[in-house]
Amino acid sequence: MINDKNSQKIVDIIQNWARKHSLFVLAYGTGCGAIEIPPTMTSRYDAERFGIRGAATPRQADVLLITGYLTTKTLKRVIRVYEQMQDPKYVIGFGSCTINGGMYYDSYNTIKVLDKYLPVDVYINGCMPRPESVISGFVKLQQLIADGKADGATKYKENLDYYRANQKKIIPNWVMPEYNW
Amino acid sequence: MKEIKSKLVEAIKATYPEATEKDYEGNRLDFYVNKQCVPSVLTYLKSGLGYIHLSHIAFVDWLEEGEFELIYIVWSPSEKLKVFIRARVERENPLMPNIENIWRQANTYQREAREMYGIQFESFDAPQDLMLEDWEDIPPMRRDFDTEAYANKTYFHRSGREDALDVREAIIERSREEIPDFAKKYSR
Repeated sequence: MINDKNSQKIVDIIQNWARKHSLFVLAYGTGCGAIEIPPTMTSRYDAERFGIRGAATPRQADVLLITGYLTTKTLKRVIRVYEQMQDPKYVIGFGSCTINGGMYYDSYNTIKVLDKYLPVDVYINGCMPRPESVISGFVKLQQLIADGKADGATKYKENLDYYRANQKKIIPNWVMPEYNW
Repeated sequence: MKEIKSKLVEAIKATYPEATEKDYEGNRLDFYVNKQCVPSVLTYLKSGLGYIHLSHIAFVDWLEEGEFELIYIVWSPSEKLKVFIRARVERENPLMPNIENIWRQANTYQREAREMYGIQFESFDAPQDLMLEDWEDIPPMRRDFDTEAYANKTYFHRSGREDALDVREAIIERSREEIPDFAKKYSR
């Protein structure tokens, strides 16, 4: 076991280095942005050279991409998915709709500010962001991981009451399992 | 095409004398009928005249006239003619005849009408939610539903876009184009 503070630091550096080079992205698209993922993953932009690749289930994934507008109906499923994901986990908000509502600023059925409901590590703006900016967002996330600053999951655990209150405000009929991590 | 259309108008008028028709260019023909006649007109078109395909049911909210309009679009593969059957129903407690037993796919459209416009159908017992979940306000596609006010009330907004300008003003400045009067009330 490591008790010494400096040794822990070295372990963290190695751990973060390993984590940042294997980002498994959950294959789950919420809005129109999911159409930018296939070109990012395939041969032209080839995101796998950064260690980014798809994962089939939430329990195998590290990164949750919120690709575009998020309806209240989908938000319920997204919360369920996010809570099933195992630590370390990161959220990337993708497109203007997750930042300030974008063109759906007056829609009755989409949320406008994603970070009130889920802890977002990186935002990628654009409508839609091109594969280059998607990759640049992932590179930013890798930098944050290497510096140990991508702590969205810890933030979520610590401020669960705040996030739950916001989520329950727009999902009145809350039939979800309660997880205790 | 002209002969097919006039033949169809004759056939419909013979059975439903109160129906009025409106001709359009190309392969489209509209009929205005009473809401009680809708199932029988559609049955006649389907089994008697070969209009076997229901393409769509569209809904229009005539707020100023206090009515909803339902537009049943049917298609004949042999005649290559689209027929629009239009029927109006009052806006207060709208109740329409159910055509689920003529075309099964009408079920989905009727569920959409019930959820988005609040139009009820006779003896129609499909599951409640189609696209919305736990909706408690008035049906959102009605024109008197203020979507921006609802969004402001329900959701968080990020500050920073209060100075967003109306695009139309920029367009007028650039091209000196006039905004029609009816469009002015929609500008921000």
